[in-house]
Amino acid sequence: MSQYVFCALKSAFLPIPSPNQESRIKNQESRNKKQEKMPDKYSMEDFLAKAVDAAKIAGEVDLVTETDKKCEDLIFYHLKQQFPEHKFVGEETTAACGATELTEEPTWIVDPLDGTTNFVHGFPFVCVSIGLTIGRIPTVGVVYNPIMDELFTAIRGKGAFLNGKAIKVSSQTELVKALLATEVGTKRDKATVDETTNRINSLLFKVRSVRMCGSCALNLCGIACGRLDLFYELGFGGPWDVAAGAVIVTEAGGLVFDPSGKDFDITSQRVAASNPLLKGAFIETLKQSE
Amino acid sequence: MLNVKGNSSNRQTSATRSFFSPNLIAPFSRNALMAAKGSMEELLSAAVDAAKNAGEIIRFGFHETKHVEHKGVVDLVTETDKKCEEVIFDYLRSKYPGHKFIGEETTAACGITELTDEPTWIVDPLDGTTNFVHGFPFVCVSIGFTIGRIPTVGVIYNPIMDELFTAIRGKGAFLNGNPITASTQTELVKSLLATEAGTKRDKSTLDASTNRINSLLFKVRSLRMSGSCALNLCGVACGRLDMFYEVGFGGPWDVAAGAVIVTEAGGLVFDPSGKEFDLTSQRVAASNSLLKNAFVEALQHEE
Repeated sequence: MSQYVFCALKSAFLPIPSPNQESRIKNQESRNKKQEKMPDKYSMEDFLAKAVDAAKIAGEVDLVTETDKKCEDLIFYHLKQQFPEHKFVGEETTAACGATELTEEPTWIVDPLDGTTNFVHGFPFVCVSIGLTIGRIPTVGVVYNPIMDELFTAIRGKGAFLNGKAIKVSSQTELVKALLATEVGTKRDKATVDETTNRINSLLFKVRSVRMCGSCALNLCGIACGRLDLFYELGFGGPWDVAAGAVIVTEAGGLVFDPSGKDFDITSQRVAASNPLLKGAFIETLKQSE
Repeated sequence: MLNVKGNSSNRQTSATRSFFSPNLIAPFSRNALMAAKGSMEELLSAAVDAAKNAGEIIRFGFHETKHVEHKGVVDLVTETDKKCEEVIFDYLRSKYPGHKFIGEETTAACGITELTDEPTWIVDPLDGTTNFVHGFPFVCVSIGFTIGRIPTVGVIYNPIMDELFTAIRGKGAFLNGNPITASTQTELVKSLLATEAGTKRDKSTLDASTNRINSLLFKVRSLRMSGSCALNLCGVACGRLDMFYEVGFGGPWDVAAGAVIVTEAGGLVFDPSGKEFDLTSQRVAASNSLLKNAFVEALQHEE
């Protein structure tokens, strides 16, 4: 089992913090030094700050390995304290209780641990992903990799950042010089695997190279900060894999779309992303690879 | 393509057999090994210094605009690659003027240097050049040292993630000074496999690559492609990856250091066919000892 661990909780199957955890939450909050506000006076910056707090608490290294579910409970508890009227959609809650419909209301969409295979193996591409949608539009995004200590943040209309420094997508214009990321996913039926490898084969003739790192949210962040030029994935788990990354890419000047070229649908389990210069050629190539 | 020649009369037998059987080393090599004994730590220390010097250059250039040349359609080289090799060679030559040197960039510029039994530094000044150009953080300096064609000292340094992998033959493998071991995974279906797309883009090579990947995906947990052969070997050594294979990479500089690091971490390094590893063959596979047979069988299934 990997030596990397995730939540600070030592106890609790209930979504109620232990005294240590509660004081840790309070310490984190007091560091922000914000006054309590009435719910209708919260700004986007407030939402971002709470999401960052929640991500960092969940990403904290501790001696006890906790499950994704407990991390998700911890994040939800923290956010519900501040925003009790908001809605919550989480990967683990959905797995346990079934899908929650995504409505127009402010909704936190959370993957407490994206890159679970990596986590189990100790491969350092793991993250917490916390997105907030309003009117079903990704509006605030936080993705935090606690192993590499990289915090990606964005608020709609206000830019994207890595550890507080502004980031932007690459300026690559040529597909043949582009670095493409994708994943092999979790389905192992012949039709899916054949389709996956046929597509990769086709794309390898057109791009510089391919990367597979095991985290959808971090791949989107890779696009946003220019480490990757192109990304697509089909059949990932749910909106929690992309809600935060979508706003981070967009605020970094990139585009997020359906691999067919149509508009991105956050619930479709399909995503593609690139800088604006490459989108046309990328879609064309994806179509040809089918 | 690059092709490093060895001592042709016994290339396949003495080098590879003696990798695992020190008693079979030829007298010349045994003397060389004994002469170097007691100073292995000095050799390691020199390699670490050289790697860190080069690492500074890489770190500095990582976020800058790169001027990129092409050695092939997708095989890149930058000024940083060349500068790092120069810095590493200058440093090591000043300490060990009698040793031999093989470097990726010097080989590309000046042609093949034969790998002999003499103490030889085998260097990739920047493994993961594509990653470097794109700012993707899997880049490293790889410095291996062979005696009697056996990888004996290995240093791999990722200056972006500040991870220093080191090993001396017989003395264990370490990450930033902490001992590392290969994974204890026994089941292929729970294993994390790494490979690379490589740099060749002719149809037969690409088709063979993706057919092999297709076949393996039914048998392993998942696949990773990170863009650095040396760091993939380190991944196996520290248990982040369970299996790795690559065919057609650049040359012995991609594997010379990683081979000793994997072995010292309790892993195995071998040819993807299951035969013994040949440092100059541009083919490598690595895994923990428990998975090797199943892995080799899975690799053959496709060919």
